[in-house]
Amino acid sequence: MSDDMAVGIDLGTSYSAVAAILDSKPEVLANEWGERTHASVVSFLDDGTVLVGNSAKRNIITNAENTVYSAKRLIGRFFFSDEVKKAQAVMPYRIVEGPNNSVRVQIGQRIFAIPEVSALVLKEMKAIAETALGRTVTKAVVTCPAYFNDNQRQATRDAGRIAGLDVLRIINEPTAAALAYGFGKDINQRICVYDLGGGTFDVSILEIGRDVFEVLATAGDTYLGGDDFDDRIMTWLAQDFLEKRGLDLRQNKYCLQMLKEAGEKAKIDVGRDGQATIHVPGICQTPEGEVLDLQHQLGADQFNRMVMDLVQRTFKVCDEALQAARMTAGDIDAVILVGGPTRLPIIRQSVRHYFQRDPMTGIDPDEVVALGASIQARALLDRNAAAGGQASYLLDVTPLTLRVGTVGGWAEPVIAKNTPIPIEKSKAFTTSRDGQDRVRIRVYQGESKRADECEFLGEFEFTGFRIGYRGEVQIQVTFEIDSNGIVNVAATDVETGQKASTTIRLSSGLSEQDIQAAIDKNAEVVLAGHGS
Amino acid sequence: MDESFRIEVEALVQALDQLDYFAVLKLPQDASPADIREAYHRESRAYHPDRFAALPDPPLRELVGRIYRRINEAYTVLRDDARRRKYVGDINGPDRAGKLRFTEADEVEVKEAQKRRVEEQLGQTPNGRKFFAAALADIQGGRWDAASRALQMAIMYEPQNPRFKEQLAAVEKQRPRGGFSIK
Repeated sequence: MSDDMAVGIDLGTSYSAVAAILDSKPEVLANEWGERTHASVVSFLDDGTVLVGNSAKRNIITNAENTVYSAKRLIGRFFFSDEVKKAQAVMPYRIVEGPNNSVRVQIGQRIFAIPEVSALVLKEMKAIAETALGRTVTKAVVTCPAYFNDNQRQATRDAGRIAGLDVLRIINEPTAAALAYGFGKDINQRICVYDLGGGTFDVSILEIGRDVFEVLATAGDTYLGGDDFDDRIMTWLAQDFLEKRGLDLRQNKYCLQMLKEAGEKAKIDVGRDGQATIHVPGICQTPEGEVLDLQHQLGADQFNRMVMDLVQRTFKVCDEALQAARMTAGDIDAVILVGGPTRLPIIRQSVRHYFQRDPMTGIDPDEVVALGASIQARALLDRNAAAGGQASYLLDVTPLTLRVGTVGGWAEPVIAKNTPIPIEKSKAFTTSRDGQDRVRIRVYQGESKRADECEFLGEFEFTGFRIGYRGEVQIQVTFEIDSNGIVNVAATDVETGQKASTTIRLSSGLSEQDIQAAIDKNAEVVLAGHGS
Repeated sequence: MDESFRIEVEALVQALDQLDYFAVLKLPQDASPADIREAYHRESRAYHPDRFAALPDPPLRELVGRIYRRINEAYTVLRDDARRRKYVGDINGPDRAGKLRFTEADEVEVKEAQKRRVEEQLGQTPNGRKFFAAALADIQGGRWDAASRALQMAIMYEPQNPRFKEQLAAVEKQRPRGGFSIK
């Protein structure tokens, strides 16, 4: 057995967790206060230290401009995307534009890239693990939503590197959850993982035969999560307040945060008790100086009506995944629930109704992903796992079709979605002008034939091949998707076999130089609340 | 990993471009979908890159990666009935050496063949399809006279379509005879 140690980290939109194998059993590692999940909130304090986790969450209200939450909604996105516009409207921290249409947050005079913010959450997870295990931790498997595209995966991996972690692998959250449940019996089983997180929704259909976890299909919506349920309650509260008092609480970012917190709490209460009492004293002041309270009752029926369309949207995604796997809901042998919002009775009932069976609930839906990641982390470190029969094999797929841009704004498919990874595919390009010395290729991911409706991954320029008349020089471009779901592109001259060099890679991601600088910056950060 | 494994991997990588997808998955050409999945799982256990992730030997890992990417490529083609059908035809044809790997042109051909099949089923002309669709709706609703009329129109546009004729014959059988239907 190896002396090395690797942990599994679930880097969530709202909450994160870290787990490791202890005495050959996966365990979630608690922090010094016994907390097992940690708010993915980063608060920059006046003394220069950084507070991360549940104690930072309180600062969303008291230190709003210097506290970043839900960074995962922004990771790997372009500045002009809808998600970023939406975030700018509701987030109290400043979201600004960086180079190449990337997103940055501004805290005072300092500017942070999103992977740098996520890296601080990872740094906290690393610190929690180190305290719990009493040793240094440098290796980790980090999870991401199955439906994340290449930009989002690269950014997640960059976040790990910035935090000083050797990221052994990025694995998909639903796949990690399946791994945590284990199965591993001799019969083949078909399972569906229903993963409703804070900001994203994923469905994966797997066929499990003994130690092999084959993902047949995956589908998702990176714009649908538990936050949207909170939003519904918030909107209802704000609307009602506006009608009764003539004041719009959403106009003030301070009120908005109190409202948001009240919405989240009401959702949890109504899910647990079937009834929620909302009471926020002194949420705002009238121009005359009168202090107003927010007070309401929310019943289960009313809540269910508010969110019914969101719940139904999740089953449209289930339909899509099942269809891609060429199955119907009746073919599924087991359903796994992942993510805090799946505790809601409305979700459980709807899942039961859709699949005609009770979902599995043996493992805490907030911890299952980190546990699965820790199992994979251990397997990747242990050279003798296979020989000892300890290994399990994750056969995952790419969630989105990989495309190249062509003339006229079209995007032609190269690797179809739900293709098993790692995979490679080559495509021949010819020069179109005499004496052409460079070839440019724009790469996209998405399901539309129109390039502008797909996610732009980057532009590659190849040089260093022979120069000849047009149509004479053939360049073979190989597109590879690796086990992390990350895209690599390389080109060779068909006739000479010489490798062409990539001269630029335009994308919103961080350059190697940026990452190196960020690693140093991250290493200097002192995390608040770690006494020892 | 022992030396015999390295030799096996090196030999396999050398031969990779001469193997068809069935050989990659160690399967006969008449393998069933269940056989194909089982073979894929078996080869994954042998060559999955995760097995070798901790191996301090990057060149060997790269070779294993090449084999595994080809295994995935083979499985992607063979697990799909339409692609497999075309592939089996190709590798048993005259241009076997040029057809060992499924290319984009092959992909397009499979898509077109599928489209043709759908067209044969639903009609090749816009008007033929329109009347045929109307006829199917009428059949669903039990409106036999209307269905018969629509099918006759569809056949006017596509006199050769066997499916239209079949459907008409079936409708004629269902249609109440004698002209005095009670309403």
